[in-house]
Amino acid sequence: MEKLALSLKKGLRAGVETTWMLVKITLPVYLAVFFLGHTPVLGRLAEFLEPAMRVFRLPGEAALVLVIGNALGLFAAIGAMKAVSLTGSQVTTLALMLSFSHNLFVETAVVSKMGLGTGRILTVRLLLMVVSGLGCAALLG
Amino acid sequence: MNLLIEGLAGGFRSIVNIAVICVPIMVALQLAKDYRLMERGDRVFSPVTRWMGLSRESTLPLLVGIFFGLSYGGGALVHASREGELSKRDMTLVVLFLVACHAIFEDTLVFVAVGANGWLLFSVRIVFALVMTRILSRRLAGLNLTGQE
Repeated sequence: MEKLALSLKKGLRAGVETTWMLVKITLPVYLAVFFLGHTPVLGRLAEFLEPAMRVFRLPGEAALVLVIGNALGLFAAIGAMKAVSLTGSQVTTLALMLSFSHNLFVETAVVSKMGLGTGRILTVRLLLMVVSGLGCAALLG
Repeated sequence: MNLLIEGLAGGFRSIVNIAVICVPIMVALQLAKDYRLMERGDRVFSPVTRWMGLSRESTLPLLVGIFFGLSYGGGALVHASREGELSKRDMTLVVLFLVACHAIFEDTLVFVAVGANGWLLFSVRIVFALVMTRILSRRLAGLNLTGQE
């Protein structure tokens, strides 16, 4: 019984400490990204990327879905996805791309101090996004 | 002003969300450790972690990240490394794996709900992460991946 109590106490302390660590890292980034979402910046970036969507066999509007997913997160991306008319394979292509690379500001902030630096994390994720997108588009047509 | 309130409210909600998930996970991890539950689970997962060139101590943070998400896996990683259970190399490789593949059920189901092929998402993500981690773990000895030291 004493062992269980000690275990629970240690676990609770680790939980509170880890929560505090995550909050300290994510909260400022979360707020910054929230306000960024209310500026025209993401829309402009999406406009710029529209022509590139052709290589993934996606309509130009998909650029906004990718930009929103990468900057804000998956739920925001799915909201944006509903406004674009896509075929079944296009939905899967977009989903695969976004599942590799999303919510980059917050997630990179969390893990950037754990071995891999910011630059390498972003390179890996964006590369996986592009490669999987190309593969998926080629495979599903 | 409304925007500020909305942002702060969202921030507060995210704190509560983190705590609600993080505290039970850390308690469960502590129990698993103290009652040696992992030794049983190890038989299932150790071939996979070994294939990727990871130590068995990496298994728990890896599983937390795969099931619950990158932040929680990261939290478990930091905790394990503070307890001195994890080498820097393991930590780098686990982060690499999790960056490509985390919250696998949640992320997959979210897209299945809008009509994506879930099996494809699920398997491609796992396979990419496994292969990438194995390749880099073999090269890590000669390659200074962390950009430090």
